Amino acid sequence: MTTTKPLTVALVGNPNAGKSTLFNALSGLRQRVGNYPGVTVEMKKGQFESAGTTFDLIDLPGTYSLAARSPDEMVAVDLLLGRRPEEPRPDVVVSIVDATNLDRHLYLTSQLLDLGEPVVVAVNMTDTAAAQGIRIDYEALARELGVPVVPLQANKGVGLDALTRTILTTAGTEPPRGPTFPVEFEKEVAALQAELGGAVPGVLVRRLLLDVGGYVEQWLVGTHGDGLKTQLAEARGRLAAAGCAVPGVEARTRFGWVRHAVAAAVTKPAVRPVTWTDRIDKVLTHRVWGTLVFFALMFGVFQALFVGAEPLMNRIEEGFGFIGKAVEGVMPSGPLRSLIVDGVIGGVGGVIVFLPQIMILFGFVAVLEDCGYMARAAFLMDRLMSKCGLSGKSFIPMLSSVACAIPGIMSTRVIENRRDRLATILVAPLMSCSARLPVYSLLTAAFLPVRSDDHPDGYAWWVPGVVLFAMYMIGFVTAPLVALLLKRTLLRGATPVFVMELPAYKRPTLRAVVRRMVEAGWAFVRRAGTVIFAAMVLIWAALYFPTADPNGVPYEDRLQLIEQKKADAEARLVELPAEPEDARKEAEEAVAAADAERNAVNGEWKRNSYLGRVGHALEPVVAPLGWDWRIGTAALASFPAREVIVGMLGMLYDVGEDTGEDGTALQEAMRKEWAGGPGGKYPVPVALSIMVFVALCMQCVSTLAVMRRETGSWRWPAFTFVYMTGLAYVGALVTFQVGRLVADAMG
Amino acid sequence: MLLPLDMLRAGEWAEVEEVSGQPAWVGRLAELGIRQGSRLQVVQPGSPCLLNVAGCKLCLRPGECSQILVRPVDSVPAAV
Repeated sequence: MTTTKPLTVALVGNPNAGKSTLFNALSGLRQRVGNYPGVTVEMKKGQFESAGTTFDLIDLPGTYSLAARSPDEMVAVDLLLGRRPEEPRPDVVVSIVDATNLDRHLYLTSQLLDLGEPVVVAVNMTDTAAAQGIRIDYEALARELGVPVVPLQANKGVGLDALTRTILTTAGTEPPRGPTFPVEFEKEVAALQAELGGAVPGVLVRRLLLDVGGYVEQWLVGTHGDGLKTQLAEARGRLAAAGCAVPGVEARTRFGWVRHAVAAAVTKPAVRPVTWTDRIDKVLTHRVWGTLVFFALMFGVFQALFVGAEPLMNRIEEGFGFIGKAVEGVMPSGPLRSLIVDGVIGGVGGVIVFLPQIMILFGFVAVLEDCGYMARAAFLMDRLMSKCGLSGKSFIPMLSSVACAIPGIMSTRVIENRRDRLATILVAPLMSCSARLPVYSLLTAAFLPVRSDDHPDGYAWWVPGVVLFAMYMIGFVTAPLVALLLKRTLLRGATPVFVMELPAYKRPTLRAVVRRMVEAGWAFVRRAGTVIFAAMVLIWAALYFPTADPNGVPYEDRLQLIEQKKADAEARLVELPAEPEDARKEAEEAVAAADAERNAVNGEWKRNSYLGRVGHALEPVVAPLGWDWRIGTAALASFPAREVIVGMLGMLYDVGEDTGEDGTALQEAMRKEWAGGPGGKYPVPVALSIMVFVALCMQCVSTLAVMRRETGSWRWPAFTFVYMTGLAYVGALVTFQVGRLVADAMG
Repeated sequence: MLLPLDMLRAGEWAEVEEVSGQPAWVGRLAELGIRQGSRLQVVQPGSPCLLNVAGCKLCLRPGECSQILVRPVDSVPAAV
């Protein structure tokens, strides 16, 4: 058999028609994701071979119609017409429809027939239709529609061969003709076509006339001027006068055509049987029971994110720590070793460590979405979310962000409305993520300790809990408020129509779920990972250079000397007999002194580094927050990843990176250093001010990288960075100043 | 008798008489099967409400429902 040129096939269908299932069944593992500049949509592309021909498959996003209202929706239309430079025009368009709901799904099919390309109709879920007593005469349907029809059970792989054979025989045939519109309408289309010339395909001229205020209108009025606008208004006026006003004429014509075809080919039971979906929905969409089930489920997801991911994350961190140590052992000290250990290995570890959470969340999202529950959850949460200008679909991404904003932002793909999706992405990092937790708990333990024998001047037992709760509340309250503000200002626009279909429940397949998990993980590593990695290396360099102290002695040499001293003292300690206690004590003191000296040199190094110098310069800026330049530098150094702030504070206060579980060493060092400054007088307001800053600040390069990936530009991450940093500064300022007043009032 | 859709109670059937509002929104609803002459049932009223349109479950917000004028009918039509 001869190999001919590859056949480009586009898959188009309503959401829930089983399009992705068919795509996966056909293309197997040979898939990749196509990105298109300027839009947020992604299209999957796959390849397979059959009968000696290569099939290039494009999976278009699920849609109810070709009436494009945004650039995102227009991409699909342009792809189908071969108007995108990245893809060839499809040879065959496969319209996938749900056998249980042909009346609705064939509406889109009728629009596809206008494209002027060969169309094959794939009727999916024929088994479910049969179970409901729906009988379909496929030959009659093909005759009525004027295109080949193939019955399918995509989830079981039934009918795939017939489909590929039909695609092969249909390629290159005469394109079908869609339903005939009233003569008045066709006359107006012809007039407009003459005006616009051949550069605009006929199907787009129809859309121009039909979709009032749609994307095609905006685009063509933009290129052809306002004259076209007047012309359009006149044409629409004439159509209305003739009794075929847009957009009603399209629905009437197409649905009339669909009804005619369905009547000839489909027999339905007189009474629609009560399906399993109806019975399950009685509980799951119930205001009380449904909400209870939803929260129980969310709790489970959450628990899995926190508890399930933690051992894996610890294992990953340990693993990278181990590799770092091993490399440290075999390489001579110097910039290269530091770059590899702290920059490269630390940077890669900082990327990989997010994978467990991302993959677990996406496993859940895949199951919930594939079985049809996600729409129910959005239905239940819509009332709550509509209060902050969003829809129910924003709830799960926002809640997931409490574990980690990265998977949360990635899961906003379920929100079709672009403005809603952007608003959700922009506020998701305000939710208190799990990386903030260690900062809160360490600072609370250090500055608001519970009263005990060790801390006679401690606080009541409930204080740490209340502080932690308050920190989480900051996110829960600020995020919806900012979302509301964004929707009223920057992302203002016509309130999106909230119409959502609740699809029939289906059993998710393990393969599809695993595929989604792997895809999400891979997408994160490949595209966000590089940016995170670069940022990690950058901050490493800012903290590493210059490598010598003002006297020109390299820090590495000084550290080596100290290590030598410590090793000597330790060796002495081993050799010394237990008896002369003074000598032992002396050696022990020498070891402790060496440790302190090492911490001091490390601290000096960080303080004199480029980042430390910037921190010094910024001292006047952070002074109103009650911070000294050390806290400022630590906050600066933790912009790539907020969890490093505690270790960084430890280093800058010469107590070493490991501040211990309760941070007592850090606390003492800070108290001592603060004695002269504002911190000495107001330790609690300063600690709270740091915590509020961490709660509100965008200190996570990974989140920014994912945002840039999901929104397709640096504009939105930059905006988020600026607004969150501003918010954090103001929040910390208010916290410290109010705290100071309260502390003064309390004496 | 014409009613806004959000006035219907759970389980009631109605025939759509008129859908008003922005053309884009009217078009979108028509694509989903809510257009003049189609029959629907209110499965669960409230915000948002749940409708059964030709065997499909759709949910809509009440503000949007009130733009849909319907004529209540007694029972399930034969051809749904």
